[in-house]
Amino acid sequence: MRIATAKESYAADEALFDTPTQRVWLALFVAVCALFPFTANEYWLYMACLVAIHVISVTGLNIVTGFTGLVSLGQAAFMGVGAYTVAVAETRFGTPVLLNLIAAGAITAAVGAVVGIPSLRVKGLYLAIATIASSFILHFVFANWNSVTHGVSGISLPPASILGVEFGRPFALYFLIVPIAFLAVFSASNLFRTRIGRAFIAIRDRDISAEVLGIPLLRYKLMSFALSSFYAGVAGGLWAYFFRVVTPESFPFVYSIFFLAAVIVGGMGSILGSILGAVFMTMVPEVLKLGVGVMSPFLSDAVALLSPVRTIVFGGLIIGFLIFEPHGLAEIWRRIRRFFHLWPFKT
Amino acid sequence: MSITRRTALALALATATTLAGAPARAADDIVIAGSMPLTGVFAFAGIGVHAGIQDYVKIVNDAGGIAGRKVVYVAEDTAYKVDQSVAVFNKLTSQNKVNLYYGDSTGFAKTINPELNRLGTMMMAGASFATELNDPKAYPLQFMAGPDYTEMVGILLQYIAKTKPGAKIAFVHSDTEFGRDPIGPSEAHAKKLGLDVVVKIVTPPTAVDVSTEILKLRRADPDFTIFHGYVLAPLPEFMNQAKQLGLKTKFMGTFWSMDNSLWGKVGEAADGFMGVMPYRYYYDAEGKSPMLEKIRAMRPEYQSTPYLQGFLTTMLYLESAKRVLEGGKELNGPNLKAALNSIKDFDTGGIIGTPITITGNSIPVGRVYRYDAVKKAMLPNSDWIQLGK
Repeated sequence: MRIATAKESYAADEALFDTPTQRVWLALFVAVCALFPFTANEYWLYMACLVAIHVISVTGLNIVTGFTGLVSLGQAAFMGVGAYTVAVAETRFGTPVLLNLIAAGAITAAVGAVVGIPSLRVKGLYLAIATIASSFILHFVFANWNSVTHGVSGISLPPASILGVEFGRPFALYFLIVPIAFLAVFSASNLFRTRIGRAFIAIRDRDISAEVLGIPLLRYKLMSFALSSFYAGVAGGLWAYFFRVVTPESFPFVYSIFFLAAVIVGGMGSILGSILGAVFMTMVPEVLKLGVGVMSPFLSDAVALLSPVRTIVFGGLIIGFLIFEPHGLAEIWRRIRRFFHLWPFKT
Repeated sequence: MSITRRTALALALATATTLAGAPARAADDIVIAGSMPLTGVFAFAGIGVHAGIQDYVKIVNDAGGIAGRKVVYVAEDTAYKVDQSVAVFNKLTSQNKVNLYYGDSTGFAKTINPELNRLGTMMMAGASFATELNDPKAYPLQFMAGPDYTEMVGILLQYIAKTKPGAKIAFVHSDTEFGRDPIGPSEAHAKKLGLDVVVKIVTPPTAVDVSTEILKLRRADPDFTIFHGYVLAPLPEFMNQAKQLGLKTKFMGTFWSMDNSLWGKVGEAADGFMGVMPYRYYYDAEGKSPMLEKIRAMRPEYQSTPYLQGFLTTMLYLESAKRVLEGGKELNGPNLKAALNSIKDFDTGGIIGTPITITGNSIPVGRVYRYDAVKKAMLPNSDWIQLGK
C-alpha cells in the first residue's frame, strides 16, 4: 500500500517520480538496462536497439498526435529525412556522429514545421490526408534527388565512430541508442510540465478555447510538429547508423501506420504509452514467432504453416486491445499500479 | 480475473524460458539458415523457395549428408521487411553455427553484407538478383543462383537481336529499386546490339489503370515490350488493352514474372507472353533431368519457379560445402565462395539445361520461354543462352 505521500510543495506535486518506491524501481530499471548488453545475445540486443529507436519515434508522434491532437501519418517519411541527413553528413562531410544526429533532428524539425502548416486550417482526417500527401512528396524527393540521395539505390554508410570507438554491432550501438532514447523520453515527460506542453494539451482539448486563453495556435501547432519531427529525425538518424543502408524503400508508408498504431495501442497522450506501444508493436510479432518455434517439434514445417496465422493473431491482438482497453496499454499499467497502491484493502 | 491473468503471465513466462534454450544440434552439422518472406507481398516466392530448400536438404540427408555430415535448415518469416530480416539473421546466427544463408531482399543483402564480411563464417545467396550484388569485389561472400537483372534483360535482348535485328524496344518498369535496376545498363546493351529503345515507361509498382501508358506505347510502336520490376500486375492489364488497340508489340518479362501458375490464372490474355527463365519448369520433359524427376516424385503437384530457385540455390550451397570439405579446408565464408567459384561445367541434374560455370557472383545463363494459353504452359522458345559466349 502506498502511504505517506502527502505533498507539501508545488514542486513535489509536479515531480516526475514522486515516491521513493518509484525512484527505486526506476533505478533498478536503469541498472537492468545498463547490464542487459552483457548478458544478452546479438538477437536480443538487436531487438533492444530497434525497440529504442521505435520508442523515440513513437514518443515524437505522441507529442503531435496524442498531446496536441493533430493526426500525422508522415512519421516514417520524417524518419527518412533524418536518416538521409545522417547518411549524407556521414558520407560526404564526415562530421561527428552526435552533430549528425542533432542536424538530422534540426533539418527534420524544419521539414516537419513546413508539413505542419496545413494543420492551421484542417483537422482530423483532413490533416491525416495532408500529412500522407507530404510523405509521398518526401518519398518522391528521396527517390529522385539523385545528386544527394543517390536515387533508388540509396546510400550505404560506414559504422558510427565516436572518439575512435566504432559503433558497428548491436552491442556497441546499444550504448549509443538506448541512452538517447532515455534522454528523449525524459525530455518529453518534462515537456508536459512546461508552458509549451500544457499549451499543446490545451490545443488538443479545444483549440478555440486555447486561443482565447492566449495560446497562439500558429506558433504552438507548428512547434508541436517541429518537436515531433525532431524526434523522428533523431530516430531516423539512429536508424541509419543501425542499418547502415538508407534507400527510399526503407521508410514505406506502412511504417507511419505502424507508429500511429503504436501510439494508439500504447495510449494517446501518455509518455509511458509511447514506450509500451513501441515495445508491443515491435516485440509481439517476435514473441509470436517464439510461439511458432514451440510448435515446430509437433508440427512439421510449422514456420511455413503458422506464419500467416501469426499475422492474423497480431492483428487480432491489436483489435482486442482497442475494444477492451481503448486507453491503451498505459491504462492497463496504471490499473496494475493502482492495485498495488491499494493492496491489501481493495483488489 | 486476476488469477487467470496471473496464470496466463506465468504460462507466458514459462514458455519464454523454455524457448530461450536453443535446440540441440550436432556440432558438425552443416547449417543453412534463411530470412524467408513467408507472409507479406513476396510470400508467393518465399513459400516456394522455402519448400525448394527443404526438399533438396531432404534429398541430401537421405543420401547420407555431405561427407557424412548432416544438413540442417532453419528459417523464420520476415514478412519481406528489412528490419525483420535482420532480426531473423541475428537470431538464427546467434542460435546456430550458420554456414550458408538465404536472404529475402536486395535491401537485406546490402544491409547484411558488411556484417557477413566481418564474420567471415558463411556464404549468402537469396531472392535478389540485383545487378549491384553481382560484384565479387564489393560483395565477396554473396552469390545468386541465376543471372542478375541486367543479365536477364541482356538474354532477352540477345534473343531479340537474333530473331529480329534492329527491332524497336520499349522498357516498362516499376518505380522501385527492383524496377530501375537493369534499365540504364540495358539501354546501352540494346544500343550495342543495334536495337532501338524507343520508349521507357515508369509506373508505380501496383499500377492498376495503365491507359495513359498504353497510349505512350502505341505512339512509340515497339516490336518488343520488356517489363521489369513486377510480379504479375499490371502485366495482364497492359496485354489486354494492347490487344484491344491492336498493338503488334510482343510482351516480355524477367524471372519473377515467369511462374506458370500465375499466368494460368490470367487465361487467354496471357497467350504469347515471353520471358527469361534460368531454370527448366517443373513439367519440362525434354532432355535428361534426373533432379526434376526426383522433384516430381516427391511432389506430384506443380512447383513454382521460386521453388526451383530455392532448390538450385541449395544445390550450389551444398556442392560448395562438399568441395570445401573434400579439400580438407575449414567450412567458412571465403572457402565456400572459392569452392563455388571453382564450379566449372557443372551438371545441375537438368534444373538448368546446360552445364554451368560460376566465375563471379551470378550464373549468366537463361532461356526464353513463351506462354501457350491453349496448353496452359510456358514452353521453350529458344535454346539456352549464355551471356559472354
